Amino acid sequence: MRSDRSDSRETIFRFEEAVDKPLVPRFFPLLQHGVLIRCRIGRSVAAFLREDIGATAETIDMIQSIILDGKPVDDPGAAFIRDGSTLALSAAMPGLVGATLRRGGTYSSFRSAITYHETGQASLQGEGYVRIKLFNLLMAELGPVVLRKGVFLSGRDVVSFMTGQSPDFWEGCRQITLDGAPVDAAGLRNAPWLSEKDRVFLVVTGG
Amino acid sequence: MDKILRIDVGAEGAPRATVVPVGEYAGLGGRALTSAIVSKEVPPLCHPLGAENKLVIAPGLLSGTASAMSGRISVGGKSPLTGGIKEANSGGQPSQVLARLGYSAIVLEGKPNSSDLYKIFINKDGVKISVDNSLKMLPNYDLIAKMKAEYGDKVSCISIGPVGEMKMASATVAFTDMEQRPTRHAGRGGLGAVMGSKNIKVIVLDDTGMPMRPPKDPEKFKDANKRFVDGLKNHPVTGQGLPAYGTNVLTNILNEVGGYPTYNFKQGRFDGASKISGETQAETEKTRGANPTHGCHRGCVIQCSGTYNDKDGHFLTKQPEYETVWAHGGNCGISDLDKIAMMDFLDDTYGIDTIEMGATIAVAMEAGLAKFGDADAAIQMIHEVGKGTHLGRILGSGAAVTGKAFGIERVPVVKGQAMPAYDPRAVQGIGVTYATSPMGADHTAGYAVTANVLKVGGDVNALKPEGQIELSRNLQIATAAIDSTGMCLFIAFAVLDQPDTFQALLDMLNAFYGLNLTGDGVTELGKKVLSMERDFNARAGFTPQHDRLPDYFKTERFAPHNVTFGVKDEDLDKVFNW
Ligand code: SF4
Repeated sequence: MRSDRSDSRETIFRFEEAVDKPLVPRFFPLLQHGVLIRCRIGRSVAAFLREDIGATAETIDMIQSIILDGKPVDDPGAAFIRDGSTLALSAAMPGLVGATLRRGGTYSSFRSAITYHETGQASLQGEGYVRIKLFNLLMAELGPVVLRKGVFLSGRDVVSFMTGQSPDFWEGCRQITLDGAPVDAAGLRNAPWLSEKDRVFLVVTGG
Repeated sequence: MDKILRIDVGAEGAPRATVVPVGEYAGLGGRALTSAIVSKEVPPLCHPLGAENKLVIAPGLLSGTASAMSGRISVGGKSPLTGGIKEANSGGQPSQVLARLGYSAIVLEGKPNSSDLYKIFINKDGVKISVDNSLKMLPNYDLIAKMKAEYGDKVSCISIGPVGEMKMASATVAFTDMEQRPTRHAGRGGLGAVMGSKNIKVIVLDDTGMPMRPPKDPEKFKDANKRFVDGLKNHPVTGQGLPAYGTNVLTNILNEVGGYPTYNFKQGRFDGASKISGETQAETEKTRGANPTHGCHRGCVIQCSGTYNDKDGHFLTKQPEYETVWAHGGNCGISDLDKIAMMDFLDDTYGIDTIEMGATIAVAMEAGLAKFGDADAAIQMIHEVGKGTHLGRILGSGAAVTGKAFGIERVPVVKGQAMPAYDPRAVQGIGVTYATSPMGADHTAGYAVTANVLKVGGDVNALKPEGQIELSRNLQIATAAIDSTGMCLFIAFAVLDQPDTFQALLDMLNAFYGLNLTGDGVTELGKKVLSMERDFNARAGFTPQHDRLPDYFKTERFAPHNVTFGVKDEDLDKVFNW
């Protein structure tokens, strides 16, 4: 069954975690590196977090640094998501620089040269792709939700991720399906055709 | 802690130990004590490796007590790297042990009159100094293994590696951790060379039979300590982020904002950042059976440190810190965590400051000695330093000397000391601290983000341009004060957000010493320390022109944001106007 976030042209990969083997965290390195999410564009970062990512108010509190296109955001309600935006999220960071990068923190003036200032319109319409990166504690907090909803990656990134996995990773998969049909792990580890795919929609579900 | 151990290494016949009352230095600890002794007793124009310089080693005010986080130790002297006053501090066991033995400080002074190398053993019965030339040129790990065989597995050690013996300006003073490994270092400023110039290889400390230092008011002290620990555990940084990932958790975010100095401060993003991030490091450690959550001394409840195993699951080094991973990683274009961990081990065993070494390798790479990204060449450069080859002597003298030797302009130093892992063009406020700290470019100089709680100098409007100047001033004051307590600076995150935790710290100091210290008193202490340090530097010939970043930070645009350092010189000169 296709996810509502996928597109008919894309290959859909679905990993289901075996009950006793935590598989989802093994996908966190992908989130750190960045994955694409299809979403409605033109809305604020705050709305994106709530509605597209499904972050609760508690989780949004935990997100202390929001970096949009490389720039720290102070007010997530006044910065807008565009097609092609990159949004990185981090929990509270140590050190003076950690404090400096906090949204709306006392030390935000220390990085005023790179702070995000919204210049465009909020009225952009339609759908687009946003790259999101989850760092540190947010990988565990938001990672399972994001992976369950599904993310887009290049075929090359998927292959490179899978070839780096040890046997216990594959043991942790209860079922893997490709475009709805079950596939076995051995076939996937050596799948040159996959690396040629521009976009693969990846869904990972917990046990 | 009412006595100071002075060791005159130039005494007739052999080094002589004298125990003197703490006298006029009473009530001072850590950085306040090292800077007070150095500024009063060391002639500012003396040669850092000469008879008149002193090496001062001082535990903090609460070291040796039951207080959590109190095991930092300060090392001070005139720096061979900067030519100014220096305080470098470290974790490890010796702070607690030295304090329990009752010493406020050890002061090494004079000039040896032979080439003999000495070891010093201190326990409850006194001090024994003996010649041991078999220790010559031993790396720290081998040295400590020998000390363990000789004195047992309960002692803790303060030592130098071969780089300290060779008196290079990047040499560290090493401190053993809970597992008796020489993994903790007073790294910055080359103070290991000062210890080397005194011909002291190792100080072995044994506090067997010495009780914990008792507070004046045990009940109040216990209560304050509990509130303090609760505050640390409840805060997301000290209770979750740091224990889970260590300081290297900063890599991803610094890289994301384009403030991660890469290829010798050429650009602010490194493609390989996620391969060497704290998240990846912690996962690697876990899968190899190492421990990403570990303290550097007993009594640490944050536990930002850890252990790093090689691919076969054997201990390789302690969990490298953010600054180390950056210095040897992104700054040199290297994205192989195992190689970076190997460099961390080599720095520790040879006794080299990881920040200075990494910055130097990057300058050498820019000079064409190796290609950026060539990890094996970087490892070889560290061996050159450890072995003291001609090239190694240049590299071991730091980034500034290496830049001069190879004709490189882009050398990221202030007062001769290499900048740490945050580019001052992206995060300009930290550039103010790099430029003006009496210590040379130093990230910890303005680390104590407690300043807004202390309200040093009143409320600061951080959004005004002069806000950065005021904030940097306040940060430096607060840092100097915390460095004097012997508390790990990482407590600052919890203290920033939780005034109750700051109050618990004050209550602990007050209950221990029977004082009535307030936030203002802490501010005064910080100002006093900075004033002493700046006065020393002025007498050593430092002028406002030394409080500047290298020119290229003002002219070379830094990608991806294409920014230059924009804080004006006249504003930098206002940092210490109080
Ligand atoms: S928080 Fe880290 S540096 Fe501080 S005392 Fe604990 S282990 Fe050492």
